[in-house]
Amino acid sequence: MRKLSPEKIVDSFKSALGSDFIEVKIYQREMAIKKNLFTSLWIHVKRQAFRKAVEHICELQEYPHLAIISSSDRGDDVELIYHFTIYYGQHLAELSLGLRVDVPKNDLKIPTITDIIPGALFTERETQEMMGVEVVGIPDSRRLFLPDDFPEGTYPWRKDETGPPQDMFKVLPGRQQKWQQVKE
Amino acid sequence: MSLNSFKRALWLYHINTGSCNGCDIEILAALTPRYDVERFGIVLVGSPRHADVLLVTGPVSRQMAPRLKRVYEQVPDPKVVLQVGSCGMEGGVFYESYNLVGPVDQIIPVDVYVLGCPPRPEAIIEGVVKAWVKLEKAAEQRIAK
Amino acid sequence: MAASKGIERYTIPVGPIHPALKEPIRLDLSIDGEEIVDVDVIVGQVHRGIEWLGMNRNNAVQNIYIAERVCGICNISHPFAYIMAVEQAAGITPPERAEYIRVIIAEMERIHSHLLWAGIAAHEIGFDTVFYLVWRVREEIMDLMEYVTGNRVTKAMFQIGGVRRDITEEQFPRIRQSLDYYKSIFNQLKTTFLEDITIRMRTKNVGILKAEDALKFLAVGPTARASGVTKDVRQDQPYGAYADLDIKAITPDMVTGTVVGDVYDRIIVRLLEVKQSIEIIEQCLAQMPPGDILAEPKIAKLLNALKKAEGEGVGRHEAPRGECIHYVRLEAGRETLATWKIRAPTYTNLMSIPTMLKGGQIADVPIAFASIDPCMSCTNRAVLVDRKTNKKTVLTHEELHKLCVEKMRRLKAEFDR
Repeated sequence: MRKLSPEKIVDSFKSALGSDFIEVKIYQREMAIKKNLFTSLWIHVKRQAFRKAVEHICELQEYPHLAIISSSDRGDDVELIYHFTIYYGQHLAELSLGLRVDVPKNDLKIPTITDIIPGALFTERETQEMMGVEVVGIPDSRRLFLPDDFPEGTYPWRKDETGPPQDMFKVLPGRQQKWQQVKE
Repeated sequence: MSLNSFKRALWLYHINTGSCNGCDIEILAALTPRYDVERFGIVLVGSPRHADVLLVTGPVSRQMAPRLKRVYEQVPDPKVVLQVGSCGMEGGVFYESYNLVGPVDQIIPVDVYVLGCPPRPEAIIEGVVKAWVKLEKAAEQRIAK
Repeated sequence: MAASKGIERYTIPVGPIHPALKEPIRLDLSIDGEEIVDVDVIVGQVHRGIEWLGMNRNNAVQNIYIAERVCGICNISHPFAYIMAVEQAAGITPPERAEYIRVIIAEMERIHSHLLWAGIAAHEIGFDTVFYLVWRVREEIMDLMEYVTGNRVTKAMFQIGGVRRDITEEQFPRIRQSLDYYKSIFNQLKTTFLEDITIRMRTKNVGILKAEDALKFLAVGPTARASGVTKDVRQDQPYGAYADLDIKAITPDMVTGTVVGDVYDRIIVRLLEVKQSIEIIEQCLAQMPPGDILAEPKIAKLLNALKKAEGEGVGRHEAPRGECIHYVRLEAGRETLATWKIRAPTYTNLMSIPTMLKGGQIADVPIAFASIDPCMSCTNRAVLVDRKTNKKTVLTHEELHKLCVEKMRRLKAEFDR
């Protein structure tokens, strides 16, 4: 597969997604003594073009490597970042691609990508149970890490009122809880 | 009758209630030829029903708490419970997390605490020796009754 | 083949690390006679809420010590990846000497972890003698780590912006002495593991993972490299001092000439990586640049700078088990992290387990599962769903381990005949 430079990759995204492409940030840093370049791209797309963006990444690299899906609670919406890497397998050639998607809190849905990348199953299940984002079309929607008797509607990673309630923290006998949970 | 069971060597059973494995590999290191606790006949067994000593590591996570209780009931009397690592004592670095149901001694009675994160194999061996002494004393008292 | 399609529950505890290192995980194996038809992996018993603690209770420096205790076997990998993510987010650059020291410690950990795995794999096959011998050999690197860092297991060497302790020139001879010891016994280790007839019989063509499946299910680390997929973060996107060294991902065709993707190949990859780590440490000792070891030595100033920092960063590190990635987001004015996401390598390797175990036998489950080197979530209890008969049997862990060892004895007896 032909390798494109970071700028050309950005251009190919812009032409594939059109107006659904919001912005891109390129981060570069020189490493150690030989000053080799470390590059990573952060691409922000709209939710309706999300699946098209993932298919475009599959065109750039056959079987792209999805490391993890990270999610942040930004108040009114939830920001999901899909951490891809492409061009692995050769010395100094790999590029990190972070695909950023915003999901509003009143409509917490995102389409699944397990039909394109079967290995995304675990990380989608974790996003579902920890953040409360519903992954539409997921083949297996059981909980992954939380126990089955964990209360429904409680999402540990959220910073609003759906975070774990105060009575879930077992304060040790004879001790006062001295820290307050950071809620925004 | 009870005193005879401690003339033979102690058999340990180890249960991990959610630990990070640091204490577990130090327990195994205590058995390998460097610290070599096996020369006294102390072995790790595969079933709680054969054990004299129950080794518990880890802060107790919600999923493992009922299993810990069940295993404790399966170990036959006389038994000693040894809790290894700082997590089980108070939670260690994970204290007061939402998925932990408290120190080990709130769920089962503990006899010997070995602290450290993780404790060195020498500390674990000393803990096992203290457990042995405690077992012998318990057996003597039972015979004396 | 099956007349009645009833569901039968076999409870089989599968503990790949050691009968007593029962790390909690559940495997639901659907079997048809002796052959495994389907596998379901159930995790979560070791969930301690670490990301939540990092976002709500600890500041950025305290999180280093929680990241260390994510896993006790690879407890350099998680702080390394975390610190790289924070440095990228806050814009702190560590000095070059610190980068080299980090690499030396990371490679020492790789040696210790692979030797640990080799002993446990030998135990799962039934070779207890090899298990004890390899762990005795491993003690040498544990002594070295204690000499350099101060502790055997949780070393606390990392700090945001550098490392906490220096490796001085006076310590180099002692390090070289340990490396020479390992070089001298390496051939013995190789012969024991790779040329023993029984290990070959027991591990060849067991737990095969094809290259295409490894790519689809996103396998990482030696699990992927043994199937021919050359993913290695130290080679592809080097960080720290790896950017100065030329590291090549190790694949089994360097020894055997072909790539099969079974357990035997994984043994090859891990043993050769021990040798590679020794060479990397020697290179780093030779090329170590002078300078200081911390970008910001005063912790109060560091915490202040982190509180004002805003940004996000990703840190990827090649742990002994695969790629370990941390994502950190910092927000100005907030002492705790805004977002923290950890992904340990076993998380992705677990998804390749169903393909690996399908079509195999129950007696192969311990060694096949142990070959991915499961770390933070390893098997404890496996629930077996038999689709043929309607019987309920409970096999203890001892019995499963006995099955595995008996198969080895059977094979050996057939061979000796």
